[in-house]
Order: sequence, then structure tokens, then C-alpha cells
Amino acid sequence: MLKPSFNDLLKSSFRSILKNKSRTILTSLGIIIGVTSVILLTSIGNGLKKYVTDQFDSLGANSIYVSPGKVFNDNGGFAQGGMANMILNSFTQKDVQNLKRKLLDVEITPASAVFADISSSFNTQKAIEIDGSTEKFGENSNLVPSAGNGRWFTEEENSKKTPVIILGYQLAQDLFPKSVALGKKVIIKGKTLKVIGVSDKKGASFGGPSFDKQAYIPLNVAFDLSGKNEIQSIIIKAKNKDSIEATKKEITNIMLKKYDKDAFSVFDSSQLLNSINSIISMLTIGLTGIAAISLVVGGIGIMNIMLVSVTERTREIGLRKAIGAYPRAILIQFLIEAVILSCIGGATGILLGYLGTLAIKSFFPAQVTLSSVILAFGVSSVVGIVFGVAPARKASKLSPIEALRYE
Amino acid sequence: MTKSLSPNNRKVVLELKNITKTYITGINSFNALDNVNLKIYEGEFMSITGPSGSGKSTLMHIIGLLDNPTSGEVILNGKNIAKLKEHQLAQVRNVTLGFVFQQFNLLAKTSSLDNVLLPLLYSDVPKKNRQNIALELLDKVNLSDKITNTPAQLSGGQQQRVAIARALVNNPKIILADEPTGNLDSKSGIEIMKLFHHLNEKEGRTIVFVTHDMDLAKEANRTIIIKDGKILEK
Repeated sequence: MLKPSFNDLLKSSFRSILKNKSRTILTSLGIIIGVTSVILLTSIGNGLKKYVTDQFDSLGANSIYVSPGKVFNDNGGFAQGGMANMILNSFTQKDVQNLKRKLLDVEITPASAVFADISSSFNTQKAIEIDGSTEKFGENSNLVPSAGNGRWFTEEENSKKTPVIILGYQLAQDLFPKSVALGKKVIIKGKTLKVIGVSDKKGASFGGPSFDKQAYIPLNVAFDLSGKNEIQSIIIKAKNKDSIEATKKEITNIMLKKYDKDAFSVFDSSQLLNSINSIISMLTIGLTGIAAISLVVGGIGIMNIMLVSVTERTREIGLRKAIGAYPRAILIQFLIEAVILSCIGGATGILLGYLGTLAIKSFFPAQVTLSSVILAFGVSSVVGIVFGVAPARKASKLSPIEALRYE
Repeated sequence: MTKSLSPNNRKVVLELKNITKTYITGINSFNALDNVNLKIYEGEFMSITGPSGSGKSTLMHIIGLLDNPTSGEVILNGKNIAKLKEHQLAQVRNVTLGFVFQQFNLLAKTSSLDNVLLPLLYSDVPKKNRQNIALELLDKVNLSDKITNTPAQLSGGQQQRVAIARALVNNPKIILADEPTGNLDSKSGIEIMKLFHHLNEKEGRTIVFVTHDMDLAKEANRTIIIKDGKILEK
């Protein structure tokens, strides 16, 4: 039987910790900072992942993207120069026609981006990404303006090269800061286009430019603006989730007849999502690892204070031993004190991390996960045990006579 | 009183046989205790005295099972304790012995009641009885009105009374006191000695106390004078 009982040990440990309130807080500070940063960083990482996933979902499921160049490497990460390849090379109208002819029951949307300045009667927005595409693109990419904000362009407008434009939410506000953009005119490369719609607010995009700061025009108008009939990506909507892989294979086979296997990429959003998520995970793990170093530093702080505490309480230890405390009772008592110190730090850190996450949430996606809380608490109690052992052993090995004689 | 003056027919509670304690400092060694033989009888009031450095503290530590002799046997209640492990010795100290120190050695920032309860933490006394035992003893040492006071709020004499209550809490047969009045004014010292007399005469407890003060030593029924690690007089 353990004497004193665990309860009694816990009580007396708490009492001795509460006797030195400011010391307790200072000692726990290292652990508090460590746990807070671990929680915050994992929250940000997880929030970012969820945000990216949501963004991809909103881009439309079942979409397959065909891009020039090699976007992914064999490990699922981005290939060297991957994203740049998409802009440097391009497909032609012929490729699109070819795919349309051979693939049945799928929607094929070619897209071509133009980077140009857009001017309104108020100001000019420089180097805006203007996506040229078909009448289906708005629907497939969830960009169709909601009621009251205009409409997407029609098939007829595309084939007749009607100069119409749909502005992103933010872009519309920038171009027309004090009035309604809908129905107004904008000028791109000397050409006047009519604003027929303003997209709903999408929020920040991952990595690249925001959807809200882009504009959308019919593909044929884009060809006119760029002076080249180049297509930078082809979006193919598979019938359903299960047919994605088969359709991808089919597309690859068609494209391989004309292009080298490294000259184009066929991928779906889940692939892109996995790549981005693996990057976020690596970043999160790396940053959390750095933050975890402060947990070790915090542990050393606890060891330091516990060693001081053992010296300070030498007489107390001697007395306890004289009146019947066996070595292990002293060992456990000091170990519990160290663990309580680190757990107080851990709990405070979790609370601060949680509050910090709530604060960050207003401008950055962040999400506290249960696993990070459990991990942080587990790590801090382990730190308490590991760094508490040395002082506790020292205490338990004191000779009662020496300890009682200690001044 | 007459009984303790004629100890021959009484039970020996603790016996030291040929105890030698040698300290080695560098190349020199000296015997703090040199072949000491001593019997402590049940219910006696004994004092150990001698000049400083005579070995009386070492003798006290051996009697209190806090230190192991270099050679010789310590027999407590007929049992040789030499073979006991450290945790078993702790157990024996907890149950059989009560310690009173010159420095009181109360836990700082801790109430009188909790100080008295301390030895019970390491004992088998059921939890529900502990508080009552401690309160009773604080009453016995006339400190019923000071149970929540911390040592800093008590006078020296009161602190030593708390320490005595603590020494009694496991109802030990033997009380060992090391210069119990050494840090007290004479009035408090007299009170403490009265308390020891009471514990000896009314409750039959064996009391052994160490003092350098010859006059105080004479209050005991038997005085042992120790010099250079040897007992001069019994």
C-alpha cells in the first residue's frame, strides 16, 4: 500500500506549490509558452488545410484539369517549376476539339488567361488576371453572379465575340469605389467591355491571386485581347466521382498521341488538394517542432526550480524522513510536484492557445484540434516526469541527519 | 518514581551493544562513539549530557535509528534492527519513536494542525481518525486555540509544544528530544520540561533527552554523561 495515499500526496504537493505562487507561475512559463505555440501552430495548420479543402470543394467536384507541362512530380508533390509550366506552354483550339470529339458525356471547358490592366472611369487596376472561357465555366467554378448582381455570358456572346466582362467582387469595388459596377464600361488594352455581372465574394485564395480580384470574359474575346489562340488549361467535368480515374486515363491516352508525357498534366482537384495539404502538413510539423523546443527549455526550467526547491527544503525532507517517510514517498512527492507544475503550464498553455486561436480566427483560418490538445498535455506531463526525476531522486537520497543539520 | 529509580526488574526497550561509530575525514578517522553499551528501560526518563563534540548527538542519532553504527548492535524491543532496510527503518521510526528537535523543525506556512498530522501521512492510522487524534494532542499541549496558526504566528514555546504534539501523534513508546529547550527562554523551557515530566509520569512514556546543560540533565531520573565517545557514568 502506498503511504501516504496518492490523494494525500496530491494535496500536500498542491499546497506546497500554492505556497509559492509567483515562483509557480514563473516556472510554468516555459511550458506555457511552449504549449501555447504548439497549439496555435497546429490550429493554424489544420485551419489552413480545412480552408483549402473547402475552397477546392467550392471549385466544383469531379473536375479534371489538363495543363501544359509537368505539374506534379512522381511523389505527388509539385514538380520543379510546376506551376510556371502551366503559363509557359499552352494547348490549341485543336486539342480542345479533339477531346470534345473523343470524349462523350463530359463537359469540356477550355480556359485562357490574359494578364492586363483594367481601367474604369475612376482608376486603373494593374496586371489583373482575366480568365477567358466558355459559358459553362461560371457554373462549373461557382462564379455565376447571384440574383441582382448580373449574369454570366452566353454561348452566343462567346461565339460572336461580344465584349462583355464579369468582375470579381473585390475588383468591382476597386474599379468602382463609389458606385455600382454593373452596367458600367471598362477598358482593357484599348478595348471597351461592358460589365454584365459581379461575382459573389469568394474570400482569399490559397497561394495565387484571389478569385475576387480576377475578371472573366468569353474565350474568343480573350483570344482577341492576347492576339494568340492559346489555351492554358482545359477543365473536364467527369460524370461522377467514380468515373474520374477512367476519364483521366482516357484523356491521357488522347493527349499522348500528340504530346510527350512530360508536356502535359492531367489531374483532378483531389490530387492538387493532396499536394497542397502535404505541403501545409510539412510546414506545420516543422514549425510545431521548433515550438516544441521551448517545451524542453520549459522542462529544464522546472528541473532547475525543483533542484532549488530540494535544497531549500532540505530540512523539511530530513524531518519527513526522521518521522517515517521512506525514500520512495519523498521521491513520489517531488515527482508529483514537478508534474503538477508542468501540467499547470500545460493547461494554461492550452487555454491561451485556444483563446489565441479564437483571436486569429477573425482574419485567418484556424481550428483547435482535440489531438493537438491531447498531445500538448501529454507532452507537458511527460516533460514534468522526465525533468522531475533528477530532483526527486536527489531529495529521496538525502540522509535525514545531514538534512536536519542543514542550515 | 521509585520504579524508575530501580530499573533492574524492568523491560529494556532499547539496547546498544558495543556500539562504535567511526567518522573518516580524509586520512584521519576518529571514533565519535567508542564501544558504547547502554540499556534504556521502559518508562524511564533519561538524559544524555556532555560537552560539545563528546558524541552525544551521534548517540542520539543511533538511538533514533537515523544513523547506522560502524559496529555493534541496536536492539529495539528485542529485535536487532541492523538488518532492516531503509524503508523498514522509516516505518519503525514512524511507529515507535517520537522526535523533538532544538530547531522545532515545523513545516513553514503550514498550520499547527497539519504539522501535527504530518507523521500520520506515513502511518497506517485510518484517515477518519487522524484529525481527532491531532486535535486531542493539540489540546493536551494547550494549543486548542492555535490550530490554524502557522509557526511564524507562534512563540518558540508554542512551536515546541506543536512539535511535541507531533512527536506523540503515533502514540510512540519512546520520545527522543535533542536539546528541546535550547532555543527557548527559561520560562518556556520550564513549561516544556513540565510537559515531558507529565508524559513520563502520567502516561508512562520513555523519554530520552540530550542536553549540554548539566542542571537540566539532573531533572531526569537517570543521567548519562558522555565524553570523547565514551559513557563515563550511568
